[in-house]
Parts: sequence; C-alpha cells; structure tokens
Amino acid sequence: MRWFRFGILVLVAILIQASLIDVIALTTIKLDLLLILLVFFSIYCEIKEAMIASFCIGFAADLIGPVMGPQIISFTIFGTLLAYLHRIISIRRMPYQSLVIALVGVLAGTMALVLTVLKGEPMLPNFYTILIGTSLYSAIVGPFLFLPSAWWMRIKTHRFSQH
Amino acid sequence: MARKQIQVSRRILFIWLMLAGFIFLLSPRKITNKFQFVFARIFSRPMSVGRSISLSVRARQLPIDVVSRWEYDKLQNHLSNVLEQREEIRRKIEKLSGVRERGSLKGAKIVIADVITSTLNGVRNELIINRGKDDGISVGLYVLGINNVIGTISAVDSRTSRVRLVTDSSSKIAVKIGDLEIDRVMEGAGDNTAKIKMLSTKHRVRVGDSVYSRKNPGFLDSAMIIGKVIECRRDEENPSLWEITVVPACEIEKLNDVAVIIMNPGSPVE
Repeated sequence: MRWFRFGILVLVAILIQASLIDVIALTTIKLDLLLILLVFFSIYCEIKEAMIASFCIGFAADLIGPVMGPQIISFTIFGTLLAYLHRIISIRRMPYQSLVIALVGVLAGTMALVLTVLKGEPMLPNFYTILIGTSLYSAIVGPFLFLPSAWWMRIKTHRFSQH
Repeated sequence: MARKQIQVSRRILFIWLMLAGFIFLLSPRKITNKFQFVFARIFSRPMSVGRSISLSVRARQLPIDVVSRWEYDKLQNHLSNVLEQREEIRRKIEKLSGVRERGSLKGAKIVIADVITSTLNGVRNELIINRGKDDGISVGLYVLGINNVIGTISAVDSRTSRVRLVTDSSSKIAVKIGDLEIDRVMEGAGDNTAKIKMLSTKHRVRVGDSVYSRKNPGFLDSAMIIGKVIECRRDEENPSLWEITVVPACEIEKLNDVAVIIMNPGSPVE
C-alpha cells in the first residue's frame, strides 16, 4: 500500500466533496466520493490495510460532517467487513461493485445516523430519501472511478485478492 | 541492523481503531470541533476556490434574471427592515414618549466574514466562515446575509466559526410574522425552508408576508427580516393551527460573505 498516494487521494476527494461536488449534484442528492473510496480500498487491499484505510476515510468524512466519530466507526466496521467478505466472494465485476457501494452506503449511513443522533444531533424526516439517493448515485458512478483510483494507487485491479 | 517490525493482529488493530472512533464520538464537541475548524482553516483557499467554481457553474445553469437577484434581495430586505424598524420605533415613541431611541445597529460591531464552505444538503444547513474568537465572535451571535438574518453562530474556534442557518433542522429562533404582535418559534426544516407552527388560524397570515426575527437583547437589538411566507396551510394534526412555511429572504447558497453582529463589542457575550 502506498500510503503517501493514499493520503493525497483522500485529501483530493475530501476537498472535492466539500466544495465542487455541488456541480454534479442532483438537487439534494450528491455523489459520495469517500464512500466510493471506502469500497475501493476494502476490495483491493489486504485486510489490515483496508481497516486502516477505512478508519482514515471515515476520519476524513467526519472532518466535513456534523460531528466527529460516527463515520469513523461506521466506515471502519463496514470497511473491515467488506474486506473479509471479499476473501469469500469476488467483487470484481462492475454490477457487483455497484451493488456493494449501494449496500454499504445505506448500512454505513444508517449506523452513522444512529451514532449522530446519540450525540444529540437531530434526525430529519427526509434523511433516508437523501441517503438512498446518495448511495444509488454513488453506486452508478463509483465503479467508473475505480480505474483511475487503481492507476493512481498502482493497484492491479484484475487480481482476485491479496492475502 | 534489521528494522524491528511491530506485528499487530487484525483483532487488536480493529479494537484500537474502534476505540479511537469511540473516543472521538464521546469527546465533547468543543474538542472535536477543533479538528474540523483546523481542517477548514488549512484548506480554506482550495475550498473557497472550489466553491466559487461550483457557484459559477450552477449560476450558468439557472435562468438569467431580468434584474440582478442579489440587488433585488438586498433592496427588498433593506426596505422590510426599515419599515419594521420604523414601526417599532413608532410604537416605542408612543409608549415611552420623550425617551430617545438609538438606531437598530448603532454602536454594534459588524464583522464581515468570507464563507469557506457551505453545507446545504437537506440534512444539514450550515456555513463555516473565516472569522472566530480572535475577531470577537462568540456562540449565539446573529449572522446577516443581505440585510437579513440567516442564522446564528453555533461553534467558534480562534479563526473560524460555524453558522447554524435558520433552515437547519436544529435551528429554533423566535420570530413574528408581518403585523402580528405574537411571538412564535420558527424551526428549520432542513430543506432550505423553515416552519412556524402553533399559531391559531384566527390570525390572518398571507403568502408573501415578511417574517422577522424577534429582538434578543445583547444579540439583536431590533427585529430584522428573516424570510417570507411561501405556504400557509392548516396543520394536519390540529386544523385550528397554521403550518407556515418560510424561505430565507436571500439565496444563502450564493453568499460569498456574511456579516456577524456583535451588539456590545466591549463586553464579550457567552
């Protein structure tokens, strides 16, 4: 794992997510670049690397989120689970990757919501509409961003997994 | 000499990471906010550039106004404020004849701040601005857009602050509608609107009525416009009450700078 390249990639993603992502937003539905990176690194890295990468991406997501903590926890849990799952089931084809992004987006988002509410933030009635919309939007676009991410990280995407 | 490599099992690593996550979650927001503010401060430049690009691209996608929307909002809000201040002053003159009334913002310090990031995504409605404790800003101060109240300061760092917009779901602010002399609480709905409930239908409210923030001594010495009523319908649960929908009096997502009102610059407000 090239951690320096990883840091730059996450930094660029977080800056785009915090400012430029509105350009391609569909009303209140926005592409979640950090969710896409979470799935990418969970699929293409070793389990330990995937754990650390998920933690770092969760930390980055919380830096531009309402409170610190919820996304660190949810991203670390689902990133780790996905890394283990990838040892059993291959997630190489784009439709499967889309499905995984959508599922992880909804599950990690729900867990982050619960933790955010526990910390005293209010819950909105339209939260699930936004969450599902964001997850589906990211699921459609996500697999297409895997290739440039793999090129930048010097990861060979054709291999099954690393153990 | 061979480098000693620390071997940590996956289970231990996972526990460490989760522990770190829970420490962040359970730490007071005063501490964890510092991480967010430091990030916003360090990367304020690229985020501001990105936001400007985003705004310019979105502006091209919108239909062109016949007159400048910004100018229209500015003058309309100024007019509403002046009318409301005039009315308030008239009432006070009648009540306290002979007592001199000071101007609404006379003596107040106005701090102009650039918007670093804006989050208007249906879940949260807030801004991060590049002014903080060092500039005299404290929690609770009112923030103006184009002569209208857009929110209050919810967290401060030395050089950055977070503005909770009136449309944020956690925002609650005392308001009055048009000519009605009744205070009600306006709650943000999260979707760039706010709701006013608990107002009896015996009061006449019309679409287009101005909504003013109530004066709040030490924070806002005079009522100022917040928004306009865009919908007024009977509450589904209690038909004898109105459910009023309000939109901000300016397009908050297009603001590049805002003004923070420090009513009593000499005495810090906590």
